[in-house]
Amino acid sequence: MTTHNMLIAPDFSPDRFAGWHMFNTLIQKRANLNMHLNIPASHAEQEQVISAGDIQIIYANPFDAATLIREQGYRAIARPIGKSDEMVIAAAANSAISRLEDIQAGATVAMADNRDVKLIGLRLLEAVDIEASDLNWDVTETYQAAARKVIKGEAQVAFFLAEIFHSFSRLTKTQLSVLIESDLADISHVLLVKEDFPDAPIFLEAILSLHNDDDGKEALAELGMPQGFEPMSEEDAEFMIDLMQTLLD
Amino acid sequence: MGSPIPDAHKPDMPAEQITMTYHDGTSRTVYDTGIERPYPDGKLIVSRTNLDGIITHVNDAFIEISGYHVDELIGQQHYILRHPDMPKAAYKDLWSTAESGQKWHGYVKNLCKDGSHYWVYATVVPNVRRGETVGYTSVRRKPSRSKIEAAMTQYAQMKQDEEC
Repeated sequence: MTTHNMLIAPDFSPDRFAGWHMFNTLIQKRANLNMHLNIPASHAEQEQVISAGDIQIIYANPFDAATLIREQGYRAIARPIGKSDEMVIAAAANSAISRLEDIQAGATVAMADNRDVKLIGLRLLEAVDIEASDLNWDVTETYQAAARKVIKGEAQVAFFLAEIFHSFSRLTKTQLSVLIESDLADISHVLLVKEDFPDAPIFLEAILSLHNDDDGKEALAELGMPQGFEPMSEEDAEFMIDLMQTLLD
Repeated sequence: MGSPIPDAHKPDMPAEQITMTYHDGTSRTVYDTGIERPYPDGKLIVSRTNLDGIITHVNDAFIEISGYHVDELIGQQHYILRHPDMPKAAYKDLWSTAESGQKWHGYVKNLCKDGSHYWVYATVVPNVRRGETVGYTSVRRKPSRSKIEAAMTQYAQMKQDEEC
C-alpha cells in the first residue's frame, strides 16, 4: 500500500503532540490509508520538507496556506471548528508596561518563529504607533523560552500564539500581564491536500466524522479541537487568503 | 440611479442633520452626533461587497460597531456607512484603485446607525477568482490617535477644496 506523507505545521503547543499521533493512527485505520506523520521542529524545517516534495497533506497555518494554495498546488478541504488563530502580547507582571501604549520604540520582543503571530502582533501595535522597525526581535526556540525572557527582564514584551499562552502553568501566567489578545475570528489553520491526491474524498470523510465516536472525540480533545473539523470550500479558503492579504502591509 | 437607502432615524441627542448625495445620484438624510465609538480592541471589522458596492458579507464586529442589524446591511450599498466629514475624493481613490486590481489603504471615518462614528484603518482588496475580480473585501484595523488626527486635518482640507 502506498504511504502518504502528512505534515503538521510546528506551531502547536507541546501538549498536543500526543494528539497528533492519535489523530494519525485513527485516520489511517478509518480511511485505510498508510500515512507517515511529519512534524517539523521549526518553520524552516517545514519549508525544507515541503520543497523536497511528496507531501500530500498539510495542516498549515493561515499565512503558509496562502502560498501553498496559490503557488504550490494545494487546496483546502477542512478546518477546525471554532478554533481561530489568535495571539497574545504580554509583558512581565512586575514591569512598568501595563498597556500597549507603554511599549516604547527600542523595546525587545521575544517570540518563537511564527510569521502569523508576528504579523498579527504588529497590526495590533499600529494602534499605538509602533512599527516593526521600532522593535528588536529575540527569536526563541519555543514560546516557553519567550515567556522566560520576558519574566527575567531580557525582553520587554513577548508575542504568543494564544492557545499556547493559555496552556502555560498558572505560575508562569501570574508572572505575565496580558496587554492585548486578538479576536480576529476568521483566520484559522487549514487542512490542505495536494491537488492530485487521489484519496482526498476518503481522507476528508474520515476527518469530518472524527467527532462521531469516543475514540475520535478523545483524539480531538487531545488536539484542543473538541468540535472537530468542518469542510472548507475553495471560496472559504480564498476569502481567508484575501483577509491575510489585507494584513500584510 | 441606485436603490435609495432610507433616511437615518433622528437620534434623541443633539445632532447635525445633513443630506448626503452619493455617486449614483441617490440622496439620504443622516445625523452626526459627533460622538466617537472606540474601536473594539484586538478585532478586525470585515465586510465584502459585490462589484457594484452592494454589501454581501459583514462580520460580527462590523454589526456590533455600526449599530445596524445584519438584515439592514446585506443588500445595501456600502456607502450606508459614509460619514459626511469624509471627502468624496477618498472614495474615488478607493474605488479606482480597487477596480484596477490593486490593494487600497486609508484612514476612514465611518457613520454608525445612531449618528455616532468610529475611525478605522481600512484595507480593500479585490477578490480575484480564476483571474476574474468577483467582488471586494474590506478589512479595518484600529488606527492610532496620531494617524486619526492627521487624517482629520487632511480630510477637512480636502472637503474644503471640494466645496470651493
